[in-house]
Amino acid sequence: MVKKILSLLIVCVLVFSLVGCGTSEKKVEDASGTDVKDVTDTTKELTIGFIPMTMNNEYFITMVNGAKQKAKELGIKLDVQAADQHASAAAQLTIIENMITSGVDGICIVPSSSEGLATALEKCKEAGVPVINLDTIINQAVLDEVGLEVPFYGTNNYEGAKAAGEYVVANFEAGIETIILTGIEGQQNAADRRNGFFDAAGKHVHVVAEQSANWEVDQGYTATQNMLSANPNIQLIFASNDGMAIGALRAVEEANQKDTIKIIGFDAVSEALNLVEAGDFLGTVAQYPAEMGILGVENMVKVINGETVKQSIDTGTKLITIDNVAEHKEYSSKFAD
Amino acid sequence: MKNVSVKERLKDKDIQALALYIGTIAILIILSVVCKLLGKNFLTVGNIQNIINQSAVIAVIAIGQSIVILTGGIDLSVSSVVGFVGILGGLLIKGGMPIPLVCILLMIVGLALGIFNGVFVSYGKVPAFIVTLGSMQIIRGLTMVLNSGKPISGFPQGLRTITNAKLLGMPVSIIYLFLLYAIMITVMKKTRLGRWIYAIGGNANAAKLAGVRTKKIELYAYAIGGLFAAIGGIFLLSRLAYADPNAGMGYELDAIAAVVIGGIALSGGKGNIGNTLIGALILGMLKCGLQIMNVPVYYQTIIIGVTIIAAVFLDKAKERKAE
Repeated sequence: MVKKILSLLIVCVLVFSLVGCGTSEKKVEDASGTDVKDVTDTTKELTIGFIPMTMNNEYFITMVNGAKQKAKELGIKLDVQAADQHASAAAQLTIIENMITSGVDGICIVPSSSEGLATALEKCKEAGVPVINLDTIINQAVLDEVGLEVPFYGTNNYEGAKAAGEYVVANFEAGIETIILTGIEGQQNAADRRNGFFDAAGKHVHVVAEQSANWEVDQGYTATQNMLSANPNIQLIFASNDGMAIGALRAVEEANQKDTIKIIGFDAVSEALNLVEAGDFLGTVAQYPAEMGILGVENMVKVINGETVKQSIDTGTKLITIDNVAEHKEYSSKFAD
Repeated sequence: MKNVSVKERLKDKDIQALALYIGTIAILIILSVVCKLLGKNFLTVGNIQNIINQSAVIAVIAIGQSIVILTGGIDLSVSSVVGFVGILGGLLIKGGMPIPLVCILLMIVGLALGIFNGVFVSYGKVPAFIVTLGSMQIIRGLTMVLNSGKPISGFPQGLRTITNAKLLGMPVSIIYLFLLYAIMITVMKKTRLGRWIYAIGGNANAAKLAGVRTKKIELYAYAIGGLFAAIGGIFLLSRLAYADPNAGMGYELDAIAAVVIGGIALSGGKGNIGNTLIGALILGMLKCGLQIMNVPVYYQTIIIGVTIIAAVFLDKAKERKAE
C-alpha cells in the first residue's frame, strides 16, 4: 500500500511538473521578479560558467586557475564544470543546459570537438547567454548554422609547432633521422601540430617514421620502442604533446640512446619544464592556457555589460629551451595550485 | 510450502521497491532544498524536462541492459552500438535518405549487432562478458572505419525534430521514453517471453527442464539489448545533431549503474524493469543537481560512486538480515 502511494507520488510530481501549466510557473517568476530585482541591484553578482574540456589535465587546470584569479580580482563568481573522464559533446551539452538553468550570465567553453556544439549553442542563443570560445576553435559552419557570433581566444597550434620546426632547422644538421609522434587521428589540433612541425622542418630533417600515440604516455613509450628498434639511427623525436614525449624519453633511456637522441615536446606542462631544465628534453612548446582563462573571464564581463570585445585573440606560443626555462617556470608558478 | 515462499519473495520485492522510492524522494528533496537555499532553480518544469532528456539516452539503453542482465548476462557493447549507429545514421542522412527510414534501418542494425552477441553467448557458450567486450572493440573499430574516425555535423533541422518536437508541452523524446518503458514492462509482466527471461536468469537448468528454449530466449535478450542501444544512439544523434565516432564511451557502465540502482540483481532473474527508469533518473537528477549546486567536478564523481554502492547496499538489507 505504502509502496503504491509513494510510486503514485513520484508519478504525480513528474506529471505535474511536465504538463504542469507553464503559465502559473511564469506568474510566480513575474511576481517575485520585483523583489529579486531590488536585491540584485545592491548585491548584483555576476556568475560566469567556465567549461574546460576536462579537469584531469594540468593544461586545463592551469587555464581554470587563471580564470579563477581574474574572477576574484573582478569580484564575480565562477562556476567551473567539466565532463568527468570522457570529454564528449553530449556531456558538454548537459553541462550547458544545467548552467543555463542555474542562471549563469555568460559561458566560456573549450569545446570537446570543433563541430559538436550546435545544439548547445542554440540553447545559449535561446536563453540569451553569451558565449566565448577558448583554446579549441568552434567551426565557422556550426556558428553560421546557429547564427551566433562567438569570440575566440586561443593559440595557434600550427604556429607553435612551426616554431619548434624552425628551431630544429637552425640548430641541427640537415638530413638527421627524425620520428614524429602524433595525437589522435582526425583531431584538428593533432593535424595542426604535426603539419606545423613538418612544414617547417620536413625538408631539412629526414622523417623516417610517424605514428599516432593518441596523446598518451604509455602509447608514446611503446610507439617509440618500436620505431627505435626499426630505426636505430634516430637523432630527433618530435612529440605532439608532453605526455607522449615523456613516454618517448623512457624508451630512449631504456635503449641507452639518451646522448644521441634529442626530444621536443609540446604543451610545457610542469614535468616537461623540469625535464627541459635537467637536459632530458631539448625543448617543449609553451602555450598560455592561463591567459586564455583570464581573457575569457575579462571579456565575458565586458560582453555582459554591453561593451564590444575583440573577436579573436592569439594568446601566442613560445618554444621553451634550457635558455628560457627558468623564466617560464616562474611565470607558470603563478597559476599552479 | 510453495505458497509461502512466493509470498515471501513478493514481500522482499516490496521492501526493495520501497527503499528505492524512499531513496529517490529523499534525494529529490535534499537536492531541491539545497538548491532553493542557494537560490537556484532545481525543480522547475524546464529543468525536470532537461533532466529526463539528459537521462533519456542512458535510460533507453538501460532497458535492453536490464533484459540482458535479467538473463544473468551483461552487454558491454552497447556503448559502441551508440557510436556506430550515430556515424552510420549520419552518413545515411547526409547521403539524402529520409530520416524515418534511417531510424528504422538503424534499429535493424542494432538488432543485428545484438544477435551477433547473442549467437556467441547462447549457442557459442562464450561468456557474455567476453563476447561483448570483444564486440565492443569490433563495433568501435568499425565506427572509425566507416568515416575514417571523423565526426559528422551540419544536419538538417528535421533530425533534431524527431526527439525535440513538442507534444503536450514536452519534448517527444520524453513521451517515447515512457512509451518504451510501458511496452517493455508489459512484455516482461504479461508475455511468455518475459517470464522465460526471468526463468533463465533465476535458474537456467530448471527453465530448460521445464521446456523453455533457453538458447533462443537468451539470443532474443541480446537482440533486444542491441535494439535499445540503437534507439539510444538515435536519441543521442538527434539530441546533438552531431555524429561523434567516440560517442557513447562509458555509457555501458552508466546503463549498468542505472539497472543495479533500480534493483535488478547482476546475477539475473530478479528485479523490475520499471525501476531501471528510476535508477537512470536518479543518476541524471544527481548529475544535474550537483552541477546546478556548483559542487566541484571531482566531488561529483565521488558522490555518484557513493550513491551507486549505497543504493545496492540498502537493496541488500533484507538478504543480510536473512543470513
